[in-house]
Amino acid sequence: MPHQGKEGELTIRIGAAAGDGIQSAGEMIMRVLSRSGLWITTYNGNQSLIRGGHVWFHVHAAAWKTYSMGYGLDFLIPLTQLAYDQHYERLNSGGAVIYDPSSVKAHDLPAGVRDLSVPLGEVALRHDRRPIMRNTVALGALCAAVGVDFDVLAKVIADQFGRKDRSVSENNVKAAQEGYDVVRQGAPPVRQLKYDYSSPKPVMTAGYAISMGAVNAGCRFYSAYPMSPASPIVHWMAAHARKLGLTVFLAEDEISVMNATVGAAYAGARAMCATSGGGFSLMQEALGEAAMTETPVVVVDVMRAGPSTGLPTKTSQGDLNMMLGISHDDFPRVILAPRNAEESFYTAERAFNLAETYQVPVIVLLDYAIGDGGYSTVENLDFDFRIDRGKMLSAPGPGDHNGFWFRRFALTSDNVSPRAVPGTPGMMFVAKTDEHDEWGHDMSDVLAGLNESAPLRERMQEKRMKKLEAIKGEMKAPELFGPSGADITVITWGSSANPSREAIRELHRKGVSVNALEFSDIFPLNEVEVTRILRTARTKVDVEVNYTGQFAKLLARDTGVEMDSYLLKYDGEPIYPIEVEKHVLSLRKEVHAVA
Amino acid sequence: MLDPKLFESDTRADWCPGCGDFGVLAALKDALLKSGKQPHEVVVVSGIGCSSNMPGYIRTYGFHGLHGRPMPVAIGIKCANPRLTVVAAAGDGDEYGIGFNHVVHAARRNDDIKLIVMNNEIYGLTTGQLSPTSRLGQKTKTSPEGSIIYPIKPLPTILGAGGTFVARTFSGDPKHMSLVIQEALKHRGFALIDAISPCVTWHNIYDEVKKLFYKLEDRGYKPDDEQKAYEAMNDPNGIPIGIFYRTEDKASFQERLGEVNGGRWPVDEVKTLPESVCRSLALEFA
Repeated sequence: MPHQGKEGELTIRIGAAAGDGIQSAGEMIMRVLSRSGLWITTYNGNQSLIRGGHVWFHVHAAAWKTYSMGYGLDFLIPLTQLAYDQHYERLNSGGAVIYDPSSVKAHDLPAGVRDLSVPLGEVALRHDRRPIMRNTVALGALCAAVGVDFDVLAKVIADQFGRKDRSVSENNVKAAQEGYDVVRQGAPPVRQLKYDYSSPKPVMTAGYAISMGAVNAGCRFYSAYPMSPASPIVHWMAAHARKLGLTVFLAEDEISVMNATVGAAYAGARAMCATSGGGFSLMQEALGEAAMTETPVVVVDVMRAGPSTGLPTKTSQGDLNMMLGISHDDFPRVILAPRNAEESFYTAERAFNLAETYQVPVIVLLDYAIGDGGYSTVENLDFDFRIDRGKMLSAPGPGDHNGFWFRRFALTSDNVSPRAVPGTPGMMFVAKTDEHDEWGHDMSDVLAGLNESAPLRERMQEKRMKKLEAIKGEMKAPELFGPSGADITVITWGSSANPSREAIRELHRKGVSVNALEFSDIFPLNEVEVTRILRTARTKVDVEVNYTGQFAKLLARDTGVEMDSYLLKYDGEPIYPIEVEKHVLSLRKEVHAVA
Repeated sequence: MLDPKLFESDTRADWCPGCGDFGVLAALKDALLKSGKQPHEVVVVSGIGCSSNMPGYIRTYGFHGLHGRPMPVAIGIKCANPRLTVVAAAGDGDEYGIGFNHVVHAARRNDDIKLIVMNNEIYGLTTGQLSPTSRLGQKTKTSPEGSIIYPIKPLPTILGAGGTFVARTFSGDPKHMSLVIQEALKHRGFALIDAISPCVTWHNIYDEVKKLFYKLEDRGYKPDDEQKAYEAMNDPNGIPIGIFYRTEDKASFQERLGEVNGGRWPVDEVKTLPESVCRSLALEFA
């Protein structure tokens, strides 16, 4: 039996080959529904190729907040047979398939699914020599099927193509109108929600959100080497460089990226770079350099499935272990993993303030699911950011100067030394990646092995490491989603909170006692507080996108609290709410059996 | 009156007595002084190795970074604040070996960095292994029977990569070296100064270089012709020093960045965005 679509929600998937304009069509669906007042979450089923293969774009929209991909498919728009074959089994009863029977055979259509055949190719060829516009025709048909005013689509098309060429835009609108008319003729919409066309809601990916957030946090230096799925960040930065006054350095490799970011931050900029796991592997020596020179940098890792080059356009949360141990020997670092676009925006503010206050590298973990094609609605973006640069001096305090050098690495009661930036008169110092004393004198050569050196090295290492204790006090506790005291608690980190939320909403409808603890501040864990919170949970199920349960292992290591069950996914696809739901339901049986 | 102690540090260089790097240090201090630079306006960035200890021995801002990576650190500094004079100083292992990639691309972009490579044809601090500039047949700890690898030719490589200032100097003539560095400091963009700086412990070539070196300018050479520069660099009979090639016709990478960012440099712009800009950004994808 096919599932029934969720009341008040729409799940839509369009699929074809790469080069057929699927991403742009999917984004147009997203805009149409967003401008119709709905909440949106999308997912980009992309492949690492430019032409051919099979790509798809998924839109989940509802009159209330969406987090993930929703349940099943209310609408499938397969432009190729492969697209139909890959996805039709997900179709919900009460939904429809919109397709061109001349190119796609809609076999074995699940019960209760409407067959909306539209001559997409024929209509498209009436407006262009090539059939590329058939996805626009399909968008018209979709709008009729969901009962959205055609004007909304016409405006979205105009915004999409109008900049390029007015005639392209007009032809697309005409093509869409024909698709709309075919479905609309005499038939009521298949599934209509309540729409409010008065106020469009902002939508963005976590990648775009952290870019905006970073710039608004005062970051005007950005460096990158292209790597999926982090590339949208550099695209955004480059596209806004002139308007916002950004300095974008597209370096020759990630080693250069990270070193240049350290250089810019040392010079006094707020500097950021981003990459994915492979690029981060190249950056790791220089991350240690940032820590050793106490230079504040923010580094974003948009995780994809690995190891090695892995699956460039598929998702994973597999880089946490790497970040916990990245670069040799001990040094302080902060790891943050925002759950969605909105949180990513605000994470930029916190990341830079933490980096500069404590003079440590801050790592932000996003993933493909939310970072690249994964748009989501952001409610209220508050651009009123606080910029805290920490201890920044323009002249030395008493005892801070020896006639030659500024005491840049002074041992202080809070383990954070006052900082100065090049260009400031009389504050010269050398930032050293070799071990050094308070004045920046090298400890690796003439001081190494002297009686006084061992305790000095000890103090410098302690000074750096002890910053973690203060940072723990700034780490946010996990957010509780759902009622406290539930029978089952889902433990998530970063984006794994999203499918969990939609599952929990569904489970509550079914009367299941379940809640979630959602971590977005990952390291350093405030062990005492986190242990206390975890101890209040009864049956704990860890949900994350990697093989070993990396976050659960971190929790066990730092709090001693073990999980009771694991939902670990590592097939490259994001977790679907139904998977969390089924897992929790299976646990409930166990819980009841024991009781 | 120039204060000759302006760039003096409290730290005595720990190089071996007679090391070529002393000459380079003296030349750099002299060149900065004569160019009218103040210590706080200058950043010296280095990598790892004997020569890379430079930053502590000269009183400017300094960044003593990773092996092979002084160039990207220097570029980050210059991109963040182009008002600073940024000098990268490191050895042949750093710049022609592990980090040569960065030098090639700095030449291509014409980054406004003055790079001094103390070239001694050997890895010194790691006690004498083959370097990228070691000669065919050179006996080292890693080539006990003599090197079977041809040396790299950094100067023509960098010229071919788009280098706009390519020079060679010799630590045995610090006065000449200072003059070349002074020219580099005036140059619009990337300057590579290959400084022959013999290692007296592992590969002492002082006498040989002294015998073979000559100044290009003494032979009426003008550094304005790329083809002639290649010929001059490849002189099989001697070791020419001086500026092989120089052009001021190419904008530096940082100048071009300034055209895009409108002169709003990262160190001056650590602030939030104006509200009107924020409003339009928020709705960009809606």
